[in-house]
Amino acid sequence: MPASQAVTDGNFGAELSEEDASRSALYRLLGRVLVAPPTDSMLAAMAVLKGDDSPLGRALSDLARTAETSEDLEREYHDLFIGLARGELVPYGSYYLTGFLYEKPLANLRRDMALLGIARREGVREPEDHVGAVLEMMAGLIDGSFAPPVNDFAAQQRFFATHVEPVAPRFFSDLEKADAARFYRKVAMVGRLFLEVETFAFQLT
Amino acid sequence: MKTKKEKVLGSDRRDFLKLAGVGAFAGGAAALGATKKTKAADAETPASRGYHETDHVRKFYRTARF
Repeated sequence: MPASQAVTDGNFGAELSEEDASRSALYRLLGRVLVAPPTDSMLAAMAVLKGDDSPLGRALSDLARTAETSEDLEREYHDLFIGLARGELVPYGSYYLTGFLYEKPLANLRRDMALLGIARREGVREPEDHVGAVLEMMAGLIDGSFAPPVNDFAAQQRFFATHVEPVAPRFFSDLEKADAARFYRKVAMVGRLFLEVETFAFQLT
Repeated sequence: MKTKKEKVLGSDRRDFLKLAGVGAFAGGAAALGATKKTKAADAETPASRGYHETDHVRKFYRTARF
């Protein structure tokens, strides 16, 4: 599937720059593997990713190599994020910011989701401030999956500053050190490096 | 109308992203395109997996139209 088709899906016809297409793809990839373990076909697609020689690029290549040989990801995911009462990590913004679930950070996210026209799916019981879900929302803000305006940079910047930057870098740092993490350690390295780039890049405008 | 300053900052940001390895992620979009297409197929084989991708997990991340 040509990359150009992928980037125009759902963005109301506006064209994304190569950088924005990459950013959106990265957010979506990171988000998707955090909300559920990757399927076999996702792993196969990840295994052919090629990063360049930058630290982020090397981490991507490392993730691709790990995707090729990963096994028992369901158990790894379960041990990391689900567990019996809880997993090794609790991947929710409210928990990272307050130590509890269902706190003000979730209320703030819901407010911003309403403003941005992002709706919570029917039948979903978990709180919306799951780190993976927030990263997928960021992807949608970049590639125009949500209502117009498409690719509104100011909206991206606000969303990043409010919901991504205060939580996700620390989460990825914890994930990198988690006992149960193997595949997800590589995910965490990509996440941490990517968000460092994003944090700095947002300051450049 | 973009001022000269806005143009310069815009290209600084783009150049930085490229340098930092973000612009080169050409395979990523295709990879996710592939996952979009094959998602329906994967949903048909839960029995072969120890972890069952239940509806609530599947719907959980679909907070945006994909």
